[in-house]
Amino acid sequence: MDRQIYILVVEDELEVMEALVNDLEQFEEFFPIESANSSEEAKQVVKDVYAAGNEIGLVLCDHVMPGQNGVDFLIELQANNAQHEAKKVLVTGQAGLEDTIQAINNAKLDYYIAKPWTKEQLEEVVTTQLTNYIMERKYNPMQYMMILDSVRLSEYMRTHKITDH
Amino acid sequence: MPSKAFSDRRELLRFIRQAITESPELQKLLRTFSKGEVLFQQGDPIPHLYLLLEGEVTLNHKREDGTELDLITLAPGHFVGLVAFTTGNDSLTTCICRQNTIALCIRQDEYESVMTDHPKLSSPVQKLMLSNMATRFQKNVQLESKMNALNKQLEDEGEQLKLAYEQLESSHQKLVHQEKMATLGELVAGFAHEVNNPAAALLRSSEMLKSNFGDMQTNSAVSSIFKLGLDSKPVNSTDVRKRMLTIQKQFPWVKERSQVRKLAQMPDEALQLILDYKKDVGLEELVRQFESGKFIHNIQVASERIANLVKSLKSYSRQDNNEWEEIDIRDGINDTILILSHRLKYLNVELDLKDIPKTCGKMGELNQVWTNILVNACDALPDGGNISIKTKSEGDFKIVVLISDNGPGISEEIIDRIFEPNFTTKNQGAEFGLGLGLAISNEIIRQHGGFITVSNREQGGAQFKIILPVRAC
Repeated sequence: MDRQIYILVVEDELEVMEALVNDLEQFEEFFPIESANSSEEAKQVVKDVYAAGNEIGLVLCDHVMPGQNGVDFLIELQANNAQHEAKKVLVTGQAGLEDTIQAINNAKLDYYIAKPWTKEQLEEVVTTQLTNYIMERKYNPMQYMMILDSVRLSEYMRTHKITDH
Repeated sequence: MPSKAFSDRRELLRFIRQAITESPELQKLLRTFSKGEVLFQQGDPIPHLYLLLEGEVTLNHKREDGTELDLITLAPGHFVGLVAFTTGNDSLTTCICRQNTIALCIRQDEYESVMTDHPKLSSPVQKLMLSNMATRFQKNVQLESKMNALNKQLEDEGEQLKLAYEQLESSHQKLVHQEKMATLGELVAGFAHEVNNPAAALLRSSEMLKSNFGDMQTNSAVSSIFKLGLDSKPVNSTDVRKRMLTIQKQFPWVKERSQVRKLAQMPDEALQLILDYKKDVGLEELVRQFESGKFIHNIQVASERIANLVKSLKSYSRQDNNEWEEIDIRDGINDTILILSHRLKYLNVELDLKDIPKTCGKMGELNQVWTNILVNACDALPDGGNISIKTKSEGDFKIVVLISDNGPGISEEIIDRIFEPNFTTKNQGAEFGLGLGLAISNEIIRQHGGFITVSNREQGGAQFKIILPVRAC
């Protein structure tokens, strides 16, 4: 695995952040997790990840945070072409209708998880979104069979005649 | 004047009657109408000029909406059809005899010749006509001035009505607002009560879990690391990243990134325990014990937060008994800040709440004042703006609260109006866009015997100054 696909979690409350990261533990073997407590820190993390030759596959982001809010951060991330393919999920209890519309229209939001989340729900969303990411990026799905949606990935391999080299 | 005109008319009428008596030709022009007979209808052309000699007629005008109005009753010596005679227009009125009436009827086209043929008639008729005209003109002037007065009165009454309506509207809105707040208060009180129970259960359970878990541990390393977990503080993501690099050097045999992250969130003391006991107890077991302690700690912190929020919510909305009580208004300010934390989170709030004496007040209502001012400031400030809240006492009898921000301030055109009811700069339909916030705040402070002022600070931003008297209940 030369190029690593990261999961980025952006959340300002440390206890909530810890809980989120803990619930994502099972993905970490394949998708290293990075966390940030603010949009500003998140931007630096994104920069560092790409600078190291890796990429962000999925962003889980809170909305109400000091400084730039989550929706504005996602919009900025979307506007930045190099990272536009990352899947974007809002994990929030407080994004109103206006903010959510903004996120869908301008940040191509992929999913909205309302707090409090459940571990099963979180895992399902992350699995689906990362599976989408792998297929959109046309990466070899073989190595992700174990952790992601194996049914969709094998179907994808069959139709796209991708073999494991 | 009227009496003179009346005697003149009688005199002239006497001449005219005389002239008619002397001329059989003029007598032919006399016509008799019986009571109720109509001389002409409104809208008809009037071929004759009538000079009333006996009886009485009424001129009646039918308006466009169909209602009828008796304009005037004419007695002997008056002309009927004078307007039509001089203008040649159709009649504006209907003429009805109130009594049996005798009139001299002169066809319009014969008027000249009749006058020329009967010089004895001509002079009194012309004079009478003039007097008729003069009387009508006089009446016209009187009517005009009366109408003006009436119009003025109407206008004044209209103004008063408008004012009364505005006052009614404003007190209606205030009532609606109060009603809303009361409903909200009840809702909040109910909600707070309902949430309080599960929060208390959470808090108690986590504490029991803590002691049970502690007792269960036999191995001292496991027990120590569990206790460290209980006391642990969450580490921010920047520090986690940094520590992950050192952990990788310190624990080179740990390959899994999730384990590295967990170790990075532990204090050095816990890491030392792991290193010391790695032969006896597996790393994973110790990490799990530490995390268990941490989770219990998190539950405790979170349930305490819920309990505190609920407490603030309850005291913030304290309006169940609308009675005056001895209060420290700083408690209310602190509650308000907590309740508004979702808005204030984006701003820097500087608190300088110096000791102030207690005073007699209504906590819930004063909290509404702080809320209104703070919400306005939040709306005016960009992210990262500053709000400063200060309390101090002046002498023994005065409490001063200063709330200032470094926003754009309030434009000079509107600064004098912001305490007026219904004055708002916000769009209709916005959450706090009723335009009542500051008006109600003003009212509340006034009821507390104090006053509220606003100014723009020299260094920019707005400043609200609230002065309250120190009073005993």
